[in-house]
Amino acid sequence: MLKYLATRLALTIPTFLAVLTLVFFVVRVIPGDPATAALGDYASQEAVTALRERMGLNDPLYIQYFRFLADLARGDLGKSMITGKSISEMVRQVLPYTLELTLSAIFVGALLGVPLGIYTARNSNTTIDYIGRITSLAGLSVPAFYLGILIMLLFAIKLKLLPAVGGGDLNDFKSNITHLALPALTLGLIMTASVTRLTRSAMLNVLKEDYVRTARAKGLPERAVVFRHALRAALVPIVSIIGIWAANLIADSVLTETVFARPGLGKMLVGAIMQRDYTALQSVMVIYTGFVVVINLITDLVYSLVDPRITH
Amino acid sequence: MSLDSTDIVEPTFRLRSQRRRLANTFFRNRTAILGLILTIIILLVAFFADDWFVALPQGKTPTPLLAPYDPLLQDARNRLSAPDDDHLMGLDSYGRDIWSRIVFGARVSLMVGVSSVAIGGTLGVIMGLLAGYLGGAVENTIMRVVDVLMAFPSLIMGLMVLAVLGSGIFNMILAIGIVLSPTFARVAHSATLSVKSNEFVEAARSIGASRIRIIRVHLFPNILGDMVVLASIWTATAIRVEANLSFIGLGVSPPTPAWGSMIRDGTSHLFDAPWESLYPGMAILITVLAFNLLGDGLRDILDPKLQQ
Amino acid sequence: MKRIIVLITLLVAVLIISACAQPTPKVVEKEVVVTQIVKETVIVEGTPQVVEKQVEVTKIVQEVVTATPVPKEPVVLRYADKAADLGTMDPHFAAATNDRNLVDMIFNALVRYKPGDGTQFEPDLAESIPVPEIVNGKQVWTFRLRHGIMCHPSDAVPSYELTADDVVFSLNKSATADTSAYAGEYSGMSVDKVDDYTVKVTMEQPISPVLFLPKVADYAGGFIICQKPYEAMGAEEFKTHPVGTGPFMFDSYSPQEKVVLKANDSYFRGRPLLDAVEYRFMPELNSRELGLRSGELDVINGAAEGQWVKRMNQEDGIRVDVYGVGEVATIHFNLTRPPLDDVRVRQAIAYALDRDEFLALFGAPVAANVYSQVPAQFLAGGLTKKEVDDLGLEYALNIDKAKQLLADAGYADGFSLEMVSSERESYLKNYQSMQAQLAKVGIKIKINTVDHSSMHKLIREDVNPIVIYVAWRPNADVYLTRFYHSDSIVVTGAKPDTNFSHYTGIDDLIEEARVELDPDKQIDLWKQAQIKLLTEMISYPLQYQNQVTARWDYVDYGHVLKSALALYPQITENTRIVK
Repeated sequence: MLKYLATRLALTIPTFLAVLTLVFFVVRVIPGDPATAALGDYASQEAVTALRERMGLNDPLYIQYFRFLADLARGDLGKSMITGKSISEMVRQVLPYTLELTLSAIFVGALLGVPLGIYTARNSNTTIDYIGRITSLAGLSVPAFYLGILIMLLFAIKLKLLPAVGGGDLNDFKSNITHLALPALTLGLIMTASVTRLTRSAMLNVLKEDYVRTARAKGLPERAVVFRHALRAALVPIVSIIGIWAANLIADSVLTETVFARPGLGKMLVGAIMQRDYTALQSVMVIYTGFVVVINLITDLVYSLVDPRITH
Repeated sequence: MSLDSTDIVEPTFRLRSQRRRLANTFFRNRTAILGLILTIIILLVAFFADDWFVALPQGKTPTPLLAPYDPLLQDARNRLSAPDDDHLMGLDSYGRDIWSRIVFGARVSLMVGVSSVAIGGTLGVIMGLLAGYLGGAVENTIMRVVDVLMAFPSLIMGLMVLAVLGSGIFNMILAIGIVLSPTFARVAHSATLSVKSNEFVEAARSIGASRIRIIRVHLFPNILGDMVVLASIWTATAIRVEANLSFIGLGVSPPTPAWGSMIRDGTSHLFDAPWESLYPGMAILITVLAFNLLGDGLRDILDPKLQQ
Repeated sequence: MKRIIVLITLLVAVLIISACAQPTPKVVEKEVVVTQIVKETVIVEGTPQVVEKQVEVTKIVQEVVTATPVPKEPVVLRYADKAADLGTMDPHFAAATNDRNLVDMIFNALVRYKPGDGTQFEPDLAESIPVPEIVNGKQVWTFRLRHGIMCHPSDAVPSYELTADDVVFSLNKSATADTSAYAGEYSGMSVDKVDDYTVKVTMEQPISPVLFLPKVADYAGGFIICQKPYEAMGAEEFKTHPVGTGPFMFDSYSPQEKVVLKANDSYFRGRPLLDAVEYRFMPELNSRELGLRSGELDVINGAAEGQWVKRMNQEDGIRVDVYGVGEVATIHFNLTRPPLDDVRVRQAIAYALDRDEFLALFGAPVAANVYSQVPAQFLAGGLTKKEVDDLGLEYALNIDKAKQLLADAGYADGFSLEMVSSERESYLKNYQSMQAQLAKVGIKIKINTVDHSSMHKLIREDVNPIVIYVAWRPNADVYLTRFYHSDSIVVTGAKPDTNFSHYTGIDDLIEEARVELDPDKQIDLWKQAQIKLLTEMISYPLQYQNQVTARWDYVDYGHVLKSALALYPQITENTRIVK
C-alpha cells in the first residue's frame, strides 16, 4: 500500500511536466498574444511592442519555458499578465467557490443518482424504470446553461426564494449558502443523470451474478441482498464515474459559473485563454492537474476499499 | 458460468442458435425496438434532407427534400419570428428556417456525436482494459497518460488539436474523442479490475487461456454493458461540445447548421425567441433517447450473463 | 428503499428551504419620488406620434422619526457589465469597455465630455477651457487648475491636493509607450508646470481644438492620475489599486466577480449621492436580465437587439436606454487581393449589399446606417445620407448593376473568397449577412470563425481579403489616419495599424486636415477624403451599433443620456437611487 502510494506520488511529476509542457507551447502557437489582448485594438504599435518586451514575450521560447518551470519549482505561480495581480492570490480568492460548488454538486448527484439507479435497476422494465430512464436522459440532453436558467426562473423569479446571481459572501454563511444552492442543484441534477444511468447498468450486471442468486436462495432479506452483496460489487464503476465528475466539475463547470455569475476556476481558465494570459493559464492548469491527480488517486484507493478483491 | 458452455459448444451451432436467441431478446424488448425505429428515422431524415444522391452525381446543386427551405436562406427582416404555418419551428436570428436547419444539422451532429464517442470509447476501452488486466508498469504508464488527457478541458484540447492539425470537422471529432477517452478509460479500468478478480477469469488463466483471449472473451464482454451506457451518456455532450469548438474555429464554419451551434446562437435570445434553442435541444434529446434505448437493448444482448 | 428515497428528497428539500429565508428589508423613507408616465402627442417629421414621457414628481413626506434612529443602509448602485473580468484600471491602458467604465468613475481630466453628451466639452480639473496662443510658431494651451482637488487616499499615500506636478507627470506617462497604450497620440506635445496650479501644454504643430481637446479630455490618455501613489505602489499594483480624483474611489476587487467603488467624500463637485457602486462582471446576458428582474441588480448592460429593447421596456418598472457613442462597422476591401484590386469588383460588391439587410439583424433603435467612414451622427467631418446621395455615392442596392460590373470586370460567374471572423455577434452577424447577400451575385465566401483575440491578430497579419471592423474612434482624423493613411497599412506600413485596404490615396488630405485650424475648412478636407474613399470604394460603411443598458426606473443618472465616450450611462456624483 505505502509502496503503491509512493509510486503514484513519484509518477505525478512526469504527469505535471507533460501537461505543463503541452499547455505552455500550445497557448503560444494559437494566434494572438497577451500584449495585444491587454491593450485593445486602439493601442499604438509602439505600446504593443513595449508591452511584449516587458512581458518577456520577446525572449526565446526555451528561456520562457525554463523560467516558468524554475518559478514553479520555487512555488511561485507568477503574476497575471493582464491585471498584474498575483495568481496564487487570485486562485485563493476563487478556489473556495469552485470547491464548495463541486462538493455540493457531487453530494446532490451521488445522493440522488445512486438510489435512483438502484431503484430503476431493481424495477427494470417497469413503468417507473421507463420514467426514470427518460427523465435522466432528459437530464443528459439539457445543457447546464438551460437548466440553470430554468432553475433560476423558478426559484429566484417565480418563488423568490433564493438569489439568482452572484457568488455570495464567503464570510457570511447564509449569503454563501443561499448563493450556492441553485448552481449546486443545477450541476447536481445534471450529474444525477449519468450516475443514475451507470448505477442502473452496474446493478443490473451484478444482480444477475451467481452469488446474488445464492444470497437470495439462502433466504436473506432482499435489502441485505441488494445493499450488502450487490451494491458493494457494483460500486466500483459508480465510484469511478463520481471521480470523473469530480475532476470534470472543477474545470468544466464554466457554463454554470457563468450563468450564476459565480467566480470559479473554470471561468478563470477560459478567461485566461480568451485573454491569452499565458501565466494565468499555465498556473491554473498546474492547480487543475493537481486536482485531477489527487482525485484519481483517491478514486483508485476507494476501489480497493469497496471491493477488497482489488489490490494495489 | 459462460466459460464452460461457450468453450465446449460446437462453433457454428453456437453462432446460429445464439444469434436467434439474441435477436429474440432484442425484439422482445419494446423500448429497444422504439430506440431502433427512432434511430432509423433520424438517420433517414439526415440522409434525405436534400436530393444530394441524385444531384451530386449529375453535378447539380442539391435541392431540399425533407427540409422545406434552404437552410442557409436568410430573411433578416423577419428574424426570430415565432413558429407559424410557414415555418413550423420559427426563424432563427438570421431569419433562417429552424426546422430546415435541424434537418440538415442532423448530418453534422450525428456524425460528431457518433464518431467522437466511437473514437473516445475505443481509445478509452483499449487503454482501460489493458491497464486493468496487465497491471504493473503498463497500468501505471497508461493510467498516468489518462491523467494527462483528463487534465485538458475540451476547450484547451480543441485548441491543441487546432494548433497541431488545423481546423476541419474530422479534427474536431478527433478532439472531442480524445476529450472523452479518459472517462471511458477510467470506468473501463475500474470495471476490469472488478471483473478480473472473478473466479472465471482465474479459471480461464489456470487452463492456459492466452492474455488476448482472456481480454477478448472474458473481460471485454463483461465491461461492454457499462461502456455502451457510458457511450450513450456522452453522445449528447459530444453533440453540444461541437458548438464550443466551432466558435474557436475548429470544426464546422458558419453558416453550416449543427445542433450545438444552433443552441448556442439561440441562448442569446432565450427569452425573446425560445424556439431558436428549444427545438435543436429537443432534436438532441430525441437522438440521445433513441441511442440510449437502442444502447440498452444492445447492452442486454451483449451481456454474457443475461444471455443465460 | 422507497423510504430512503423519500427521506433523501425530504432532506434535500429541508436543506434548500432552510437556506432560503430572506432578510427583511429595512425601509426608511423621507422623500418619495413618484415617476409618472405621461402620454404626449408630438409631431415627428410631420407625423404625429404618441410619446411616453417620464415625469418625476418629488413629494416630501414628513415622517416621525422613531426614538432609536435606525442606521442608514448605504445606498449602493449595482451595475452588471458583460465583461468576464477586470482588465486594468490604469486609465492609460484601459481599452476594454468595462475598464473604460471604471476609470471614468475614478479619474478626471483637464477637460471632460459633458456627462451624457459626448459632443460637448466642459472644464473638469481645469477652471476653464483655454484659448490657445501661438508662441514662436508653436501652439500653447495654458490650463489653470481648480484649487482643493483631493487625490483619493490609498494604502500607500494619504489624500493630498492634486497639483500641476500630477498633471505633468500623468500626461508624460500617457506619452510614453512603456506606460501607456496611447503614446502615439501625444507625439509633438510637451507639458510644463508653470506653478502649482498652472500647466502649459505646447504643441509643436498647431492643431484645431477638435483634435487637441480629446488628448486632454476624460478618454484614454487624457485621464489624470495621482503621481505619488502611482510611484509608491508601482505600475503593476496600480492596475488594481487605481488612485484618482473622481467621484468614486477604489474599494475592492474580487476576481471574476466585482469591483467595488465607494463615494469620494471630498469630491470637488460635492459628495456623490450614492455611497458605493458595485460593478459586477457578468458575461451572460440572460443572467444579467434575471438579476435585474429579481431586483439583485439596478443597471445592466443589455443586448444589442431591437427585440430585447422592446420587450424589456414593457417590463414593469424597467427602462432601457439606447445611446451613443456607436461603434461603427465598416467593410474594408483589401486592394492587394485580386479580384478586389479592380474597382469595378468593389463597386459591384457595394451595389450587391443592402445596408437595411444588415441593419435588420440588429434592429432599430440599436443600430443605424452610416454612409461615410466617419459617422456623421457623432463626429464632425462625416457625410450624411443626403450628402452621399447627392454625390451618387450611396451605393443603394442594385443587383443588376452589381452583376453588370462583375461581368465587365470578367467575373460574370463570381468568385470565391475565404476570411476569418470573430466569434462575437457584432462581427459574425455582419460577416454572415454579407456572405448570404453576396451569394446572390455568385460571390462565395467561406467564413472561419475564430475567437476575438485571434481575429485581431490574424487580420493584422493581412489574412483577410475583406475585413469587417467594428470600432469607435474619437475624431475624424483618427478614423482616417488609422484606417486609410499609408503609414497605417497592416504589416508593411511605417507604423503598421489598421489600414486593411492598403490604400494610399488620401495621405495628403489627412495631413492637410490635421493642421488646418479653420474648423470649416478642416471638415471640408475630411469630407473630400471620404468622397475619394467612396468613389474608389475602398471601404463600405455599414452601421453604427449603439450602447444598450437597462435599469430600474428608480435609478436616476443625474444627466440626460445621449452619448458617452465611456460606453456606459456614466455614473457620477449626481447619480442617485430614488426609491
